[in-house]
Amino acid sequence: MPKRIAVITTVYRYLTHAQHEADRFMVGYPHKGRWHRPDMKIVSLYVDQKPEGDLSEARAREFEFRVYPSIGETLRCGGDKLAVDAVLIIGEHGQYPRNEKGQILYPRYEWFKQCVNVFEKDGRAVPVFNDKNLSYSFEKAKWMVDSSKRVGFPVLAGSSLPVTWRLPDIELPFDCEIEDALMVGVGESDAMDYHALEAMQCMVERRKGGETGVKAVQLIEGDAVWKAGDEGRWSKELLTAALSRSDTPLGLTVTDGRTQDLVHNGELPKLAKKPWAYFIEYRDGLRATLLMLDGALQDFNFAARVKGLGLQSTQFLLTPEPNVTYSACLMSKAEEMFATGRAPYPVERTLIVSGILESCLTSRVQGHKRLETPELTVGYRAPRESQHCRA
Amino acid sequence: MAISRREFIAGTAAAHLAIHGQNRPERPKLAAVVTTDNRMSHAQHIVDRFVDGYGWNSAHHHPPMDLVGLYVNQVGSDDLSRERAARHPSMKIYPTIAEALSLGGSKLAVDGVVIVGEHGHYPRNEKGQTKYPRYEFFQQVVKVFRDSGRSVPVFNDKHLSWNWDWAKEMYDTAQTMGFPFMAGSSLPVTWRTPSLEMPAGARVREAMCIGWGGVDSYDFHALETIQCMVERRPGGERGVKWVQAYRGENFWKAYKDGVWPQDLVEASLSRSHTLTPARPGFNDIFPSIDDMRRLVKDPVAYRYEHVDGVKCTMLLMNGLVKDFNFAASLEGWSEPFSTQMYLPMPDGRTTLANFFSPLVNGMEQMFLTGKPTYPVERTLLTTGLTAAGVESLYRKQARYDTPHLAIAYQATKDSTFWRT
Repeated sequence: MPKRIAVITTVYRYLTHAQHEADRFMVGYPHKGRWHRPDMKIVSLYVDQKPEGDLSEARAREFEFRVYPSIGETLRCGGDKLAVDAVLIIGEHGQYPRNEKGQILYPRYEWFKQCVNVFEKDGRAVPVFNDKNLSYSFEKAKWMVDSSKRVGFPVLAGSSLPVTWRLPDIELPFDCEIEDALMVGVGESDAMDYHALEAMQCMVERRKGGETGVKAVQLIEGDAVWKAGDEGRWSKELLTAALSRSDTPLGLTVTDGRTQDLVHNGELPKLAKKPWAYFIEYRDGLRATLLMLDGALQDFNFAARVKGLGLQSTQFLLTPEPNVTYSACLMSKAEEMFATGRAPYPVERTLIVSGILESCLTSRVQGHKRLETPELTVGYRAPRESQHCRA
Repeated sequence: MAISRREFIAGTAAAHLAIHGQNRPERPKLAAVVTTDNRMSHAQHIVDRFVDGYGWNSAHHHPPMDLVGLYVNQVGSDDLSRERAARHPSMKIYPTIAEALSLGGSKLAVDGVVIVGEHGHYPRNEKGQTKYPRYEFFQQVVKVFRDSGRSVPVFNDKHLSWNWDWAKEMYDTAQTMGFPFMAGSSLPVTWRTPSLEMPAGARVREAMCIGWGGVDSYDFHALETIQCMVERRPGGERGVKWVQAYRGENFWKAYKDGVWPQDLVEASLSRSHTLTPARPGFNDIFPSIDDMRRLVKDPVAYRYEHVDGVKCTMLLMNGLVKDFNFAASLEGWSEPFSTQMYLPMPDGRTTLANFFSPLVNGMEQMFLTGKPTYPVERTLLTTGLTAAGVESLYRKQARYDTPHLAIAYQATKDSTFWRT
């Protein structure tokens, strides 16, 4: 019997996360050089908003499942007991309000909570995949993870950046000693910064001693970012290393195609007019920085200085629309958990990054001050084996 | 023609000595001979990497050599060479190839030459081949070598010449005169997703590349994609016996008749990042053959057989994909082996054609060591395959025997694609 999947999502339009993630279970997806067709079936769907372009009813007709008006009915397929083997929560896109920190209030926590209620009432729990961060609120995210442990079901969550292809295909050695780490990314806050932070986390979590949590964070913006670079708060050497992996420098490269040494040719401040720097101080002493440099480039690149190995750097490849094949990499991980009942990597990664992002945005609205984060004492070990797409 | 491994090694060793006999300088001086240098031309990508550097291995790498002489055959209103020379005064532009190589003097004055004969306005012949003057440029370069009594390493971008006889003459000249010669496309050296090399010792039964682009241009890239993989099979490369092209209805008939293996089509397409959705509303869906017929208006296949029996198929499927995907069936493997030769194409999604970085890096190594980074025989063979595919198309898609392509060589032991 194919595993039965319930999908809970905000909107189901072309090129939304729901469409390109849930569709993989209907039409298959490219995986390890085959068009893989999961031995699983979507049997029910809850969609919160149906704007113009909604595809949910058309998918339901073609792939023979039902769209239900509530999460409870979706999980029970209209009956009185949990009637699925796995749940896919995709709470991205759609019209939701923002809070004072600029975070979009996607109802992932509320939906997850309803799933937990059904699991507890019906006396059975099944694996849940949650797309992107668990919640805009660390407190809510923590409740989600704690509940899954209390009730006893596996949860996988997060971004596709940790699992996509890397250029070059590097992995930091397990238990390596990381001296400094830096990520450069682009895009709007509370969407793309999350991806960048999780990409960096999936690299640094492999360090000696494993992850033990974050002591403090600070977010600064504008000219203060360049000043911090001049003062050595973030490493220009690491930014150069990260940018050495970029395929998308803007400015003079767009004008006439030339290559650029953006860190040293003076163009960077002209291009990135509103830079943000996210400083993360880990409990074990590691310091890591995310630079969001809109206007300077268009891709996501990481660099670290590793004891004994020197500089290590890579690009997290976001393959083009419409295929966005990186989402197939992510769904293969969800499928793996649905099939085995084990999450291939710990949800604590997503938990800590959900918290890092929230705290950074709090730092911003509190005058860019450094914030101690005792609540982010989240410890875990990364899996020894690489989880990104390399086969 | 067959080049034994011993002859190949002897040839490169002789070249090596010849170079070292000239007291190789610490910082080689280079000349570039190009058709045109405008935005997104091959010359722009290559020349800029020498003069402005490029991102490489966690640094902004400046090649340890100086591009000091430049010849540009066609200078249009969009020319960039003048701006580059103004910004980098050590690079001077000369009105002739001889002057670019002699830096205005009377004798060869550089330690390496880069020929980029791609882009620019050149006539096409009746077979649809663009008559880029790579052979003509090469001849002028060689004349300077002869007149100066000294030869230096030469890199030739893409295939050697559109004309097989000329291509062969270029190869023979380099062999006879004993200078290191390298050529080819960036496909063999770019990133791969996933980052895989042909498994050591793998016996290839069939190989395929599904790519895109035009005849006598991107077909060469697709052929290099296949060749850089199959050349690693035990026994090495021994050449190709025949080539047959399929186009239009013949292509679809051959597809349906199973002239090429369907499982390799699935494997190749499953490596693509640019598969055109066959149905509206779906972003990534596997096409049926009817979908393919609808999407691909002018399909082209070159099917060919190597001397040792290995069969290969190159499919240009414009409208279906915009990348180059490789698959092969290997003896003892239940599933095809496959990967994509990934080009970060500056089509709006990226801004830099960074697949030129490993190509330029490969050239640098030759200019520093006096040894080709990978054998030019690969490009000689793919040059001949490109011309043979064009010839078969021109002869109404008849099978075209290629006794002249009995080209034997050994691949490099180490991988030369971009992985660091």
